[in-house]
Amino acid sequence: MLNVLFIEDDAIETMKLNRTVSKLQLKHKITEAKNGEEAINFLRSDEVLPDIILLDLNMPKMSGIEFLGILKEDPVLKYLPTIVLTTSENRADLLECYRIGIAGYVIKPLKYEDYEAKLESVFTYWENNELVKA
Amino acid sequence: MESKDITLLKKALLRQKKARQQAEKILEEKSKELYDTSLHLKETNKILENLLEEKNSELDNVFVNIVDPYIVMDLRGKMIKMNTAAEEFLGYTIEDNIMLTDLVHPDYKQYSINSFSALYTTGLIKRYRPRIFTKNKGLRYVEINGSIVKDKTGKPIAAQGVLRDITYEFEMKSLLDLQRQRLDIIVENSPLGILLTVKGDLIKSNRTIEEMLGYSEDELMALHVQDFISIESLKESQVLREKMYEGNMDNFSINKKYLRKDGSVFSAKTTVNAVKNSKGVLEYEVALIEDITHELELEEEKIQLVKDLESSNKGLQEYAHIVSHDLKSPLRSISALTTWMYEDYKDKLDDNGVYNLKMMQEKVESMDKLIDGILKYSTIKSDNLDNSIVDVNEVVKEITDIIYIPDHVRVVIVRKLPTIYADRTKIHQLIQNFLSNAVVHIEQKRGLVEVDCIERPKFWEFSIKDNGVGIPKEYHEKIFKIFQSIGNKERSTGIGLSIVKKIIDLYEGKVWLKSEIGKGTTFFFTLKKQK
Repeated sequence: MLNVLFIEDDAIETMKLNRTVSKLQLKHKITEAKNGEEAINFLRSDEVLPDIILLDLNMPKMSGIEFLGILKEDPVLKYLPTIVLTTSENRADLLECYRIGIAGYVIKPLKYEDYEAKLESVFTYWENNELVKA
Repeated sequence: MESKDITLLKKALLRQKKARQQAEKILEEKSKELYDTSLHLKETNKILENLLEEKNSELDNVFVNIVDPYIVMDLRGKMIKMNTAAEEFLGYTIEDNIMLTDLVHPDYKQYSINSFSALYTTGLIKRYRPRIFTKNKGLRYVEINGSIVKDKTGKPIAAQGVLRDITYEFEMKSLLDLQRQRLDIIVENSPLGILLTVKGDLIKSNRTIEEMLGYSEDELMALHVQDFISIESLKESQVLREKMYEGNMDNFSINKKYLRKDGSVFSAKTTVNAVKNSKGVLEYEVALIEDITHELELEEEKIQLVKDLESSNKGLQEYAHIVSHDLKSPLRSISALTTWMYEDYKDKLDDNGVYNLKMMQEKVESMDKLIDGILKYSTIKSDNLDNSIVDVNEVVKEITDIIYIPDHVRVVIVRKLPTIYADRTKIHQLIQNFLSNAVVHIEQKRGLVEVDCIERPKFWEFSIKDNGVGIPKEYHEKIFKIFQSIGNKERSTGIGLSIVKKIIDLYEGKVWLKSEIGKGTTFFFTLKKQK
């Protein structure tokens, strides 16, 4: 079971993830954050740190890339595997993310079925990974 | 008679006698003197005559020995003496009774008259150069140097002169003059300014450089090259020239600034070549000067254009970025919701409902593809056109399937459209932009959008005609610029026609429009036929 921090401003995207998790009967714990700020606040609270972070890029207030920058500045948080989950196929975004440091870059497919399949494989991959665990 | 009287008379007679005796004596003395003088004169004359004869014979010898033709003529110009060379050269003898004037070419008549009158007044004729007819050698250029011959009393009686055939010399000179003239024509008419200098001192200039600098030739000749080189270029120019003077290089080329007479400055590409003599010593420097002010302006303009292009490209990229997220995200949501609607309610939906959901899903997919196309386009350049055979009729059909067309509007193809060789995505984008613009701006009861194409020799000329609201004249150019939307409908992004323009540019075509407010707009565009 994974402890996942899901940073996403779009309600339907959140619904998509939750629906995927429940449909596939996955036992992962999903913590939602509506933007980068909220996510940072959560990570700096007393809560248990997540195993992985799923991060959207285009968000109001603090964008995904800004969030990533802050995360990588932090001596502890920087070890959290962060997977970008975005609609942006912009090469500049992709390069910038890898430059700052990410564990993956997943593009949201158009069809929900495809989304489900992709997310399932992402979860499966990370489940099979040895994680630091706080 | 009285003796007194007699005595008086006797005395008088005696006095008379004495006086006569005295007079006779004087006369006798004078006569002798005269005789002596006359004798002396005779002798002198004899000596003189001898001398003269000697001289004459001497001169005769000279005549014979003169290699050049020698002539003597009387004051009317009739030949009275010629040496062998003269006879040979002219082809005449004294017996022919020729006049020099008869031999002179008509063009030289007046010149000859002037020269002869000078001869009579000064006694000399120098470098008299007529063109004369000779009997055997045709027309020849000659040079005559001569003088007046006077008699014993100093009266002019004849003229003598030595002739020299200068025809060859003259022809050479004419040839040289001609070549020089031709060279001058080239030099003077060169679009390059040309300066000939010796260690920077001006020797010769052509008209072009005089006009460039605004100096007359004379003014220019009084200057040194550094007088008209702008301060900022002076040092570099001097360093290079010094190197050339020192023999370290034979030529150099620099762009430098020149100072005109009126103080204004222009830029010119200057190439300086060293001209060396056979011993390798620098004799001249030749500078070729090309005014490149215009070229530099063009260069600057080009840089500015590239900058503009970069910034508009950046604008497009940023736009693409926004499109990427803001348009694709909702599409994903719609797609998901449609899927869930089907998954969750498929038992409750009838066939029609299921069909509509499926259609909705398809439209979303088309839209997503189009966005992808635009995104790709925004990063695509002319070097990666993906050309293939495209049936434009199909493209129009695809477009009318995915775009929003108000119920009162019909899109028709006037004549069957061609199948062209082009990038399908681009053609799709192109026509879709025109069509989606056309269909939404129609306020008539029955909207009509007509797509047509005419085949030109090198181009396809397409037209999209609507009976919509029309576009005010002042916007006809503006609408092709990025983010310039003139519609007040929310859906117009202002990017459409700039994409259109860019695609048409890729196919070396043109785009233009005719529009009448309230009646409609026709957009025309051409695409160059691809080989």
